[in-house]
Amino acid sequence: MTFTPCVREKEVAELLHSGHWPAASSPELRAHVNACRNCADFLLVTQTLQHARGTSVRSARLNSPGLLWWRAQLRRRNDALEQVAKPIAGAHVFALIVTLLVAGAFVVEQSRRGVQWISWLTELSRSRAFHLDPLWSSASTKIDWNAMFLMPGLATLMVLSGLLIYLATDRS
Amino acid sequence: MNWEYVIPNVEVGDRPRATELPMNNEAFAGFYERSARPLWAYLARVSSDPALADDLMQESYVRFLCASRADDGEVASRRYLFRIATNLLRDHWRRPASASIEDLPEELFATSDRSDHIAQIRLGRALARMRPRDRQLLWLAHAENYSHREIAEITGLGTASIRLLLFRARRKIARFLQEQASVAREKQ
Repeated sequence: MTFTPCVREKEVAELLHSGHWPAASSPELRAHVNACRNCADFLLVTQTLQHARGTSVRSARLNSPGLLWWRAQLRRRNDALEQVAKPIAGAHVFALIVTLLVAGAFVVEQSRRGVQWISWLTELSRSRAFHLDPLWSSASTKIDWNAMFLMPGLATLMVLSGLLIYLATDRS
Repeated sequence: MNWEYVIPNVEVGDRPRATELPMNNEAFAGFYERSARPLWAYLARVSSDPALADDLMQESYVRFLCASRADDGEVASRRYLFRIATNLLRDHWRRPASASIEDLPEELFATSDRSDHIAQIRLGRALARMRPRDRQLLWLAHAENYSHREIAEITGLGTASIRLLLFRARRKIARFLQEQASVAREKQ
């Protein structure tokens, strides 16, 4: 298909858009439109689509502008809230990472030292302040003290971290 | 903590607050009254789906209001609105599982006048055979009387491309319309 626009198309367009076609057109222009394929197509398409526009405009179903305005205001406010919440969420993630790193370092360090502080606890129980020897079972030495203290500690840490994340992300 | 109380204190100064809309309620109501019907006609005709046109029109206005742009007059605002609607239509067509426009009933645009009704059906069928982009270009150029430069602004295409695309689309739809008219004449 070759693109060869007609020089008189603009003239036809102006008359169509002003609503004066064919009344204000010259017989010569009307004869040209009948003979020129570009102008004939232009006329047919413009008249058809403008007629369709008129029909559609009349059948348009409009909502209340107030409702749309309110919706836009609500969305804009939510967007602003999200903008404010972004750095806060970042801070939460950072705090969580730091907490996990510290907890990890603590666990590694304690596992290397063999949980020395537990021996202090054992000595404490033998001190004069505490006469709890009968309470300590003979099996106490057989218990894996590392696991006994570390597991509840880690479990508590995980529960608290989960709670922290939940509180940080809960928007309701 | 309720952030609604924090935000107004954060945003102080001469700059308009982020939560404020660029147009007040009354001004928007006037603009809506003048622009909604042509916008709906554009969306409904190009998509061939009045229900979709309802949804997209609402979304277009909400996005229009949420956009941070200078007030540059009614004509430019209207053009911007058509641009949003065009992008929404494009997004809709990109999504899968959209209904085929050939399956949609033409009665949705039915008028009381029988000859008018037939003309609308013919146009609907002809538009259905066109590509979505061609439908947009044809409507903007011939129904809304936008210039090539304005159509370029609305659709994001180049002005030179629009000239050629529009020429081809016009020739194509004219052929479809003539074919349907000749088929109707043969039936009579």
